[in-house]
Amino acid sequence: MTTRKMVLIDTSKCTGCKACSVACKEWNQLPAEKTQLVMSYQSQKDFTPKTWTYVTFTEKYENNKMNWLMRKAQCFHCADPACVKACSSNAISKTESGYSVIDQNKCIGCGYCEANCPFGVPKVDQVKKKSFKCEGCIDRVENNLKPACVKTCQPGALEFGEREALLTKAKKRLAEVQKTHPKAMLYGLNEMGGTTYIYLLLDRPEVYGLPANPQIPASLFLWKDVIRPVGSVAFGGAAAAVVVGVLANVMRGAYRSKEEGETGHRKGGES
Amino acid sequence: MDVSRRGFLKLSGISIAALATGLGFDPKVAEAKGYSLRIEGSKKIPSICHFCSGGCGMLLHVKDGKLIHLEGDPDNPVNEGTLCPKAASLSSVAYAPHRPTKPKYRTPGAKDWVDISWDEALDRIAKKMKEVRDTTWKATEQVTDSKTGQTQNLTVNRTEGMVFLGSAEIDNEECYILKKLSQVVGSPYHEHQARI
Repeated sequence: MTTRKMVLIDTSKCTGCKACSVACKEWNQLPAEKTQLVMSYQSQKDFTPKTWTYVTFTEKYENNKMNWLMRKAQCFHCADPACVKACSSNAISKTESGYSVIDQNKCIGCGYCEANCPFGVPKVDQVKKKSFKCEGCIDRVENNLKPACVKTCQPGALEFGEREALLTKAKKRLAEVQKTHPKAMLYGLNEMGGTTYIYLLLDRPEVYGLPANPQIPASLFLWKDVIRPVGSVAFGGAAAAVVVGVLANVMRGAYRSKEEGETGHRKGGES
Repeated sequence: MDVSRRGFLKLSGISIAALATGLGFDPKVAEAKGYSLRIEGSKKIPSICHFCSGGCGMLLHVKDGKLIHLEGDPDNPVNEGTLCPKAASLSSVAYAPHRPTKPKYRTPGAKDWVDISWDEALDRIAKKMKEVRDTTWKATEQVTDSKTGQTQNLTVNRTEGMVFLGSAEIDNEECYILKKLSQVVGSPYHEHQARI
């Protein structure tokens, strides 16, 4: 029996060295991309099909004092993921350990996951026509290895373990961090049904560019839970109506009378 | 025992391989359901990162003679399995297309570099060193005593035409040999690349 796993990202310990990003590329054999200076020390603006994790840097001034906030961004692996719901080809699935993984053989690159993820994580490679995102190093995790990013983290900002045990540890650490950063909070406890990657943030999530209350888009909910079920009923109804209509017409003799009319016309021509 | 440079390298390679198998570094067979590791069946070779003086331990995963993966060595007390971004990216250095793997020579005035053999390169360097050392050799130097104002000839035995340049990319033992060589040759100038 596999228990649910968890990765704690303690941003109070992060030094912004970006080793997680490099180790991710190393393990997943992703090519390097041209970096840009976005702001502060941030060199990657967003997720791409080739960059599944990067570090965001925020410089926040409060009372003439700068708070340098760093956050390792990657897939949250939600308990209730929008991407799994949105996927048109059932390519994305949840594992028992709590990870959302894309089956590249099934993916058709429709981009529904990209459009519906509240964090903007999956990205479609327009050439390969496949969607890519952090897989949480599922191959390593299932073989009792730590994810590549966690393994490499030198300041110990990333921690991997059983969910229950690590949550207790996270709450303990939060109490400690709140002494110096009163706004500190855990992000991902209840968001999207409780995420596998949980953050200890030093400030409000908005400051880090995270949605305060991430949700499955209403349009997706409408489409998957309302319109499609209703639509399938309606489709069945329409098919039944066609059958009933045809039968009724046969019984009324509509087809026969048309045939008779035609023969009558021919007869008239002969005479 | 007379060991050539090539022979020494071969010997050390064999001893590293023997050490790796002897200590039981065989990667265990993956027991996953449906998820196989791409490092399955590779040989783990412990090594040291050469980027800084920290000397973090690395495990090189080698399969069919090719480096396929590299990560921190959990048994190394320096880094306990972690690696910084520079060390974590080292596998891309190993197969970088721009990495020179053979000595190259460019004749004066020529535009392109030409591959030459190690023997040729070492012979050429030795010849040039001898030439420069002979022409710039200084056995004595005349100095003026600041107190008495008298000049005197001091034995210095050095060559001032040669500089030895160290690097952050070479390890402790290599630095030791380089420093020793520069003293044997008689050059007072040994400098580190980071100070230029």
